[in-house]
Formats: sequence, C-alpha cells, structure tokens
Amino acid sequence: MAFLWDELRQAIPLIASGNDYILQLTWVTIKVAVVSTTGALVIGLPIGLALGLGRFRGRRTLQILANATLALPPVLGGLFMLLLVLPQGALGSLHYAFTLNAVYLAQTLLALPYIVALTPAAIQGLPPGLLAQARALGAGRRQLSLLALREARIGVIAAVIAAFGTALAEVGAVVIVGGNIENYDQTLASAVLAQVNDFANYPYALAISIVLLGLILVLIGLLTVLQQRGGVQLRFRSV
Amino acid sequence: MRLLWEELSRAVPMILHGDPTLLSVIWFTIQVAVIATTGAAVIGLPIAVAIGLGRFRGRRTLQIIANASLGLPPVVAGFFMFLLFVPQGPLGGLHLNVTRRGVFVVQTLLALPYVVALGAAAIQGLPPGLLGQARLLGAGRRQLSLFALREARIGVMAAMIAALGTSLSEVGAIVIVGGNAYGYDQTLASAILYEANAAHYADAVAIGIVLIGLILLLMCGLGVLQHQGDGIRWRFRSAA
Repeated sequence: MAFLWDELRQAIPLIASGNDYILQLTWVTIKVAVVSTTGALVIGLPIGLALGLGRFRGRRTLQILANATLALPPVLGGLFMLLLVLPQGALGSLHYAFTLNAVYLAQTLLALPYIVALTPAAIQGLPPGLLAQARALGAGRRQLSLLALREARIGVIAAVIAAFGTALAEVGAVVIVGGNIENYDQTLASAVLAQVNDFANYPYALAISIVLLGLILVLIGLLTVLQQRGGVQLRFRSV
Repeated sequence: MRLLWEELSRAVPMILHGDPTLLSVIWFTIQVAVIATTGAAVIGLPIAVAIGLGRFRGRRTLQIIANASLGLPPVVAGFFMFLLFVPQGPLGGLHLNVTRRGVFVVQTLLALPYVVALGAAAIQGLPPGLLGQARLLGAGRRQLSLFALREARIGVMAAMIAALGTSLSEVGAIVIVGGNAYGYDQTLASAILYEANAAHYADAVAIGIVLIGLILLLMCGLGVLQHQGDGIRWRFRSAA
C-alpha cells in the first residue's frame, strides 16, 4: 500500500496547485464533450423526432439501425473518420487529420447514436393518449415536435448526459483520429493512456484520473437527480 | 471515397486468406470475451440476485454503486488495476501487468457492473406477485434465487450480452494493463488502434470487418432472445 500512497501524495498537489498541463487537458476535454454533444443534438434531434413521431414506412427498420449503432466499437468509428479525413480521403481537402477538428467530428459521430436512439425511446414512452390528443386538437408538425420534446425532456436530457459521458471517457476514436498529441488534442482519458503507456508517469496519470472521475461523478449525480425527479409524470397526474 | 475503397479492397483478401496473425488476434479476442463474461457471471450473478431479492440494509447503496460503476471510464479502471499490479503495488506478486492473464482479470472487472446492475434490474422487473408467491409456498433462499434467475432469464441474458459486447469493443483498460503487445495480448479492438496508429490502414480495416462481424453475430443473438421473450409472454398469456 505504501506505493499507492506515495503516488497519491504526489498526485494531489498537481490537482491542488492547478497544474497547467492538467488544466489544459480539462479544458480540451470539456470543449470536445460540449462541441460533440451539441453537434449530435443539432443533427440527431430532428432524426430522433422523426423516428419517435413519424408514421412513415421503414421507421421500425431505421430505429433498429439506430439502436444497432449504439453497439458499434468507438475504435471503428474513429478508423472510419480517419479514412475520411486523411489527405487521400473523401474529406481530405479539409486537412482535418490529426487535428482537434477531427476529434470533434469523430466524437460527434459517436455521440449521434445516443441522441438518435434514445430520443424516440423517450417519446414512445409518453402516455399514449397525449400526442394523439394534441394531434386531434389540431397541433401542426412543429407544435407536436415541441410538445413531444417538452414532455419527454427527462429522457432526452438523459440521452444528452450519456452522450456527454462517452465524449469524456472515450479513448479509441480520439487517439486514432487525433493522434493523442500532447498539449493539443489530448483529452483527459487519452492522456491517462499516454502517461501510463508511454511515460510511466503514474502521479500525473493518477491526478488526471481523479479529475476525470470528478467530472464523471458530476454527470452521474445529475442523472440520478433527474431519475429521482421523474416529476414530469407526477405533475402530469396531479393535474 | 477512393481511399476507403482501396483499403477495403486490400483488406478483404487478408480476411479470406486467413492471415495467421489475424487468426490469433481473433482467437485471443474470443478468449477474452468468454473468460471475462463467464468470470463476471460467476462473481456478479450472486450479487445481482442478492440486490434483486435481498431485503438487507445497504441494498439500495450497493445498487447505486453498481449503476455508477457502469459510468467508470475504462482507462481509469484499467489504470487503477495497473497500479495494483505494478511490482511495488499491493498485488504485484501476481505479475499481471503486460500479460494475457492481466487482460482477462481487468476485462472481467469491467464486465462485472453490467452483470450486477442489469441483472438486478431484470430481477426487480419481474411481476411483483411472482416471487412473493414462491416465498409463501415455502421456497428456500436457494430455490428462490434459481427461480428468479430462470424467470428473469431474458434480462439476465441481455446483461451477459452487454458484458460480452464491452469485452469485444473496449480498448482503454486492455491497452493500459496489457500493453497492447503485437502478436501477444492484442484484441481485435486494440489491434485496430495499433494498426491505425502505425498507418497500416488496410490491416486496420480488415480487423474492423471481422470485429463488426462478431458484434453483428452477438446482436442477432440478442434479437433472437427478444423474440423468444415475446414468445414466452405469448404462451404465458394464452395459457391464462
């Protein structure tokens, strides 16, 4: 145990004194998580709404596909994105390979399934009469979408938190597409990998792990509060 | 699109000719997935049953911990294991770092929360009267546990498949503890990381195709199970 204690004693000051490297990693990680989750929301929410509310042919099949993409290994998403952004690739002219932009793109691709698959699930979990009533009362497509989103907000927020969580914790795609470049496109999670495997610098790895765990705990706390509230249904009933 | 296509056309022959390195990576990946899932089931199912059926203090807390550990970043979990296994560390005597056994151990630990959290949820989702009735009819603890597992088997199987799925696609912990040593303790997922970083894109694509194949097989398994689930409910309803 003396060994672990030693490492911890070296790690704590790094966090407490606001080490520049760790601060920078935290900033990059938060940027990646915010950008990719926002990107996934902008692209995924309309698709999720269409899948949740639409009554077109192939809706079931699309939903099964969306669910299946949740099971896709992140390394594969990263490899696919890298082959697109490499100079000879389809998006090569953007010069995104091994840049922070490529990391944003790859993480957005990975966050997308959460929004696309979990939003329809949340909407389909609404009390069956609710949307039919709104339709009967003459709600347009736009109004109906907003109503569905508002009523299913807990589920949608849970999906956003899940997407945010992967962006924080994921390493496979980030490393493949970004190259895990220190002080540039390294995230907290990919920095742990580099500090352990490349430098055997355990105090740094430990300090970074603690910061990352802190961020994740905040997310889990949010999710727990949301689940406990479930308040939407309660309020709905009390009316 | 040309690059993707070129890499793909070089990757397919590698799979078809049964490249020996690729075969050994496939074999090790299957070993990791099976051992980790079995290990997690042996350790985790009793805990899941205890959480799902038990009426002891701290049950809620245990469940919250199990749910929270589902959110633990694999790199962090892997790094903590690594620190325990370092020669100077508390479990250094086991010599697990940079070995295949170490990969088995760390992946088992990562699969555990899936079995515990999802297994307990499956048992708690059983019709409320069912277990109460069994208790009333005098089922002992052992009988009750087996009964609950049998009734919740679809959910329990789904938990096991989720555990198997992470074992197939996870890289962070495996790379930290195993060191991602070429030709030794690489899984399909960590081999993709390795080959992509080495700019061997055709190899990475070939391995990726095999990995997708394995995962598709798993998902088909899950689909079949869900259909059976419908069948059971059907039969149940038609009998009533």
